[in-house]
Amino acid sequence: MNGDRPRVDPVVTELVRNGVIAITEEMKTNLTRTAYNMIIYEALDFTVGLFTARGETVSIGLGLPMFIRGMAETVKAKLAHFGDDIVPGDILLTNDAYITGSHLNHLTFSMPIFDNGTLVGFAVCMAHWPDIGGTLDGMTTDIYSEGLQIPILKYRRAGKVNQDLLDILRMNVRLPERAMGDLRAQLTAISSGERRFLELIRRYGREAVLDSIAAIMDQSEAAARERTLAIPDGVYEAESFMDDDGVDIAQPVPIRVKVIVEGERMTVDLSDVSEQVKGFYNSGVTTGFACSQVAFKCLTSPTDYPINDGSFRNLDVVVPMGRIVSAEKPAPMRWWMTFPMTIVDTVFKALAPAIPDRIVAGHHADLIIGMLNGVNPDTSEFYIAFIGPTGGGWGAKQAEDGNSATICMNDGDTHNSPVEQLEAKYPLLFESHALRPDSCGAGRQRGGLGIENVVQARAPLTVNTQIDRVHCAPWGLAGGGDATGNSVALRRDGTWREDFPNAKVFTARLGPGEAFALRSGGGGGFGPSLERPLEAVAHDVRQGYVTPEAAFRDYGVVCDADTLAVDVEASENIRAAKATLAAAGETPGG
Amino acid sequence: MAEPEIPGGLRLAADIGGTFTDIAAFDPATGALRLGKALSTPSHLVDGIAAGVERADVAFSDAALFLHGSTIAINTMLERTGARAALVITKGFRDIYEIGRVNRPDSYNLFFKKHRPLIERAMCFELDERMLAEGEPLKPLDETEVRALGEKLAALDVEAVAILLLHSYRNPDHERRTKAILESCLPGAFVTASYELSQEYREFERCSTVAANAYIGPGVRSYLDGIGDHLEAQSFPGAFLVVQSTGGLYDVAQARHDCVHMLESGPAAGVIAGRALARAVGIENAITFDMGGTTAKSGVIYGGEALTTGSAKIGGYEQGLPVQIAMMDIFEVGTGGGSIARTDAQGALRVGPESAGASPGPACYGTGGTTPTVTDANLILGRIAPDRFLGGTMTLDPDAAFEAMKSGIADPLGMDVVEAAAGVLQIAATAMSFAVKGVSTERGLDAGEFVLVACGGAGPLHASAVAREIGMREIVVPPAPGHFSAIGMLHADLRYDYVRTWFARLAEAPLDEVERLYGEMEAEGRAAVAATGAEVSEIVVGRAADMRYVGQEHAVTVDLAAELFAAGDRAAIKQRFDEVHGVRYGTSAPDEPAELVSLRTTVSGLLPKPPAVRGDEGGSADPAPFETRRIYFSETGDFVAAPVYARADIGAGATLDGPAVIEEAASTTLLLPGDRLRVDEFGNLRIRVGSGAL
Repeated sequence: MNGDRPRVDPVVTELVRNGVIAITEEMKTNLTRTAYNMIIYEALDFTVGLFTARGETVSIGLGLPMFIRGMAETVKAKLAHFGDDIVPGDILLTNDAYITGSHLNHLTFSMPIFDNGTLVGFAVCMAHWPDIGGTLDGMTTDIYSEGLQIPILKYRRAGKVNQDLLDILRMNVRLPERAMGDLRAQLTAISSGERRFLELIRRYGREAVLDSIAAIMDQSEAAARERTLAIPDGVYEAESFMDDDGVDIAQPVPIRVKVIVEGERMTVDLSDVSEQVKGFYNSGVTTGFACSQVAFKCLTSPTDYPINDGSFRNLDVVVPMGRIVSAEKPAPMRWWMTFPMTIVDTVFKALAPAIPDRIVAGHHADLIIGMLNGVNPDTSEFYIAFIGPTGGGWGAKQAEDGNSATICMNDGDTHNSPVEQLEAKYPLLFESHALRPDSCGAGRQRGGLGIENVVQARAPLTVNTQIDRVHCAPWGLAGGGDATGNSVALRRDGTWREDFPNAKVFTARLGPGEAFALRSGGGGGFGPSLERPLEAVAHDVRQGYVTPEAAFRDYGVVCDADTLAVDVEASENIRAAKATLAAAGETPGG
Repeated sequence: MAEPEIPGGLRLAADIGGTFTDIAAFDPATGALRLGKALSTPSHLVDGIAAGVERADVAFSDAALFLHGSTIAINTMLERTGARAALVITKGFRDIYEIGRVNRPDSYNLFFKKHRPLIERAMCFELDERMLAEGEPLKPLDETEVRALGEKLAALDVEAVAILLLHSYRNPDHERRTKAILESCLPGAFVTASYELSQEYREFERCSTVAANAYIGPGVRSYLDGIGDHLEAQSFPGAFLVVQSTGGLYDVAQARHDCVHMLESGPAAGVIAGRALARAVGIENAITFDMGGTTAKSGVIYGGEALTTGSAKIGGYEQGLPVQIAMMDIFEVGTGGGSIARTDAQGALRVGPESAGASPGPACYGTGGTTPTVTDANLILGRIAPDRFLGGTMTLDPDAAFEAMKSGIADPLGMDVVEAAAGVLQIAATAMSFAVKGVSTERGLDAGEFVLVACGGAGPLHASAVAREIGMREIVVPPAPGHFSAIGMLHADLRYDYVRTWFARLAEAPLDEVERLYGEMEAEGRAAVAATGAEVSEIVVGRAADMRYVGQEHAVTVDLAAELFAAGDRAAIKQRFDEVHGVRYGTSAPDEPAELVSLRTTVSGLLPKPPAVRGDEGGSADPAPFETRRIYFSETGDFVAAPVYARADIGAGATLDGPAVIEEAASTTLLLPGDRLRVDEFGNLRIRVGSGAL
């Protein structure tokens, strides 16, 4: 903590803390209740927030966990661009993917907040527009084919809207009316943020509010330092890989991370992650920072609010340009969200020996979405639909099993769509929507289970999937087993085809009665599986999470195939024998 | 509408809460309202009712109606003390209940927890049947398979069975038949099918609803039967009605089957009381503020009606289980009298959501608590009297409060104890203002334009501070605010809610079919009202439709006059939807086509109400305080001598200026400096909130 700051009243500080959280919550409510597209109000693909006059994050309301960095960097870039030329009544805009770090759909509006002529902060809103132009489907290999790029500019200058810009926007998007609806929703959100922040200043005084914000950030920093200090010093490394970039098929994309802990500081070094790729899985350098911060927040301040930049002052991120999470123009970025999630998981993997009680084993790490289009025979209308996000297994922890059927790290409070809704809306028939038994990694604590959706076409349709992490299965830690990875299968003429090199299926056409299956992976296990108590394995078998075969193979537990009853004596003998073998250096766990 | 004649016989209401059982009895012959309060008796709840009835000095044998709300249903669910239940579900979908909606609200917390189903996977069984979204069977029900399953369940000794088959909202034939067969295989078991509770799409939510009904069913049923036996033993001659989560009443015979409707009966009755109050004094828009020991809850009365919602989560947003039935729309925050104030390692001052509860309780209770709470702060600042807490049944220890605040907050932060206590209350007021604001902001309403109705033990003590946070200008404190829910039950009507999901574009929807569905629901409701045996003065039917723009996912509920569909006036229906969308979401798109998602019908049987007059307990229009107490206010920055009045002493027409305190048995009302109070002709305290922040 900085000793030279004025002493702030702890009561006012707490009122300001609750105040900025409430303001960002209200901005969120105003955005979601006025937005036009369900990617905003159902998938919550947005972030709103308040920032200091220098662009530091004061409080952000999610939205997307992975967007923790995007808005602050965008505000800073706008400040650098305009310098002193930011005046009351301005609204600044950009969707520059190399600044936001994500894709062109993320339009970010920032409203400077002036108190009696002095710039005191920014109210900002990023939201995902369903269309920003560009090609409709298939792979992209540069940014130009992904849609309209808007450099940093003023949507509104001193209260006057830039009509030329609006005209360009309307001409370049496929659903201009809906886009304008979303634009208005974003303006509503930032206006309410500005108004409420000024109310806070009127209520407690400008100095008191700004000093309180500084104090909140100092407190967050102190908490982060204290919790980092509890991590043993050392250099920790781990690696993993992505299946491929969708262009160079079956060419793995390496992910290598190095985490250095020295006292109260942590460094995440991403120098050795893959260079940027040809397919659309790249993201900008902001996301290199974001994924490092997401991992860091999960470890040091997971439930602290407001989310603010004080929490990251003792984190250094090293990421040279030109990597998959620091891609340079004109790298394609449309599916930016998949790779960074695996980097987050790999950071946890690196730190597993140091803080086994604070990390998780690997998770399924993909949205697992099936994008569909076709003509609905009932209405003769062309439709675009998506199945998912599916959710999948999360990794086990040192003292807890992993969660099953939960959305991946990139997303947070995102919901799937009800089967009954999808079947009523589109010519689809779900044959199943179920957990995948045995998809979990075995371990003293086992991972969570993935999901299988089998969806039958009732009329001809086209499927696209962009799914990764087939080959780099969610890993176990501390001797825990790996889980089953993600996969896709197609059923044509009554025969399932499963032998794809990856889970990226572009423009696959299905006729009536044909089907596709989306399968999300499980979560990795933690600790040797032979250490899992017999009763816990018996419970898993009784519930059908683990089959009798897997119980025997992974845990040395013998169950009756029909009654599922465990033969305790036989199991104990086998487990003892396996343990002896393991101690002698044979493969543990079977 | 003229108030109908009140038929003879007492109307007796019993509200069982976590701590107390409240009795309110209204005698139509004399107009007298009698109240009784007894400690709840969790092991045998009917004893608390009997004790409360005795204290109110009334008898069941004189009553024509017994109105009842209870925490039995929600506690069975939250404490996981329900039945051994099985779930029967469409093949391929066994895991719907466990998968849920896959969302992860606590986004950075690696130790997050998902909802935990009430029925484990081993007790979920599939049936090889399938209904299509159009309501046509793709695969017919195999009755032999159902019978075999019934035998299996019998061998497993299940006490309850929940049935969820896909698309049963569209065609319940398979569920209905499955239920009949399973009932014949499982005599004595509680068998429930989802279509009986919700005919609305969303399989996870409907599944969670029917599973909850099965899980709590056997326990709730035997509880209601126990009360029925008690009533019979007491020679009760009237109708036994139960309060639902909508605040409406239903017959005990139906409550024995559709138990999930009882989940939120207590909080809902509080909002109904608020509605009765608002109607009596001519207020259109009000927000209730019910603060107790651990939480503060708010509901909305808008245009004279209490606002309901089509679903809610039981047990909180992050891990709660959804229940897809009509419920009062209630917003809750974890701040109450027992909320704990603490400092964290970084020197920040926090209040709640952890609560000292009843045990160990606030430090001043002297029951083992050592951490300072909101109640301790009130005591330190002189806002509550140590010797008259809970009507004098409990004595508080100011020294213990002071010591806890000093060591817990003041010393670590280098503050004065009084300053710390005032800060704790200010932080608590801000937090509670979010509950009051939240319930309105989500609907696009401005809380500042509403009247705050303060109730619950602690509501009237904090209402003025909360109102100032929001910019609300008026507060009403009803008589007996601590009995508000029980009194609200006396003002409730019979109410039956129905919903049918029915997807159709408005422009093409066959309106005769719509009319037929509304007619079916209405007939079902009228029959249910008639079956209660209660004498109703009128039956009121409300129609609404959930609608959205084509392409949207979320629908909004639009109240529609019956004539609109009867007249086939699609343009008027569309216009009404555009208006509602505009209010709720800030935008509308008159040029975009709309579609129907679900049709809703509410059938209410109006019961005669106690008239809104105060009994003649008296009180003076020019009352005198019974003491003067030194109370601290942030406005003055010091303790000032404030007059303290007994509620019974202040009569209609009295006016008081803050600062002042009004005490009654279970509650204390605080007027801040600048507040002005007037007692209206019904005995309500009407407070005009002073300007200025705390």
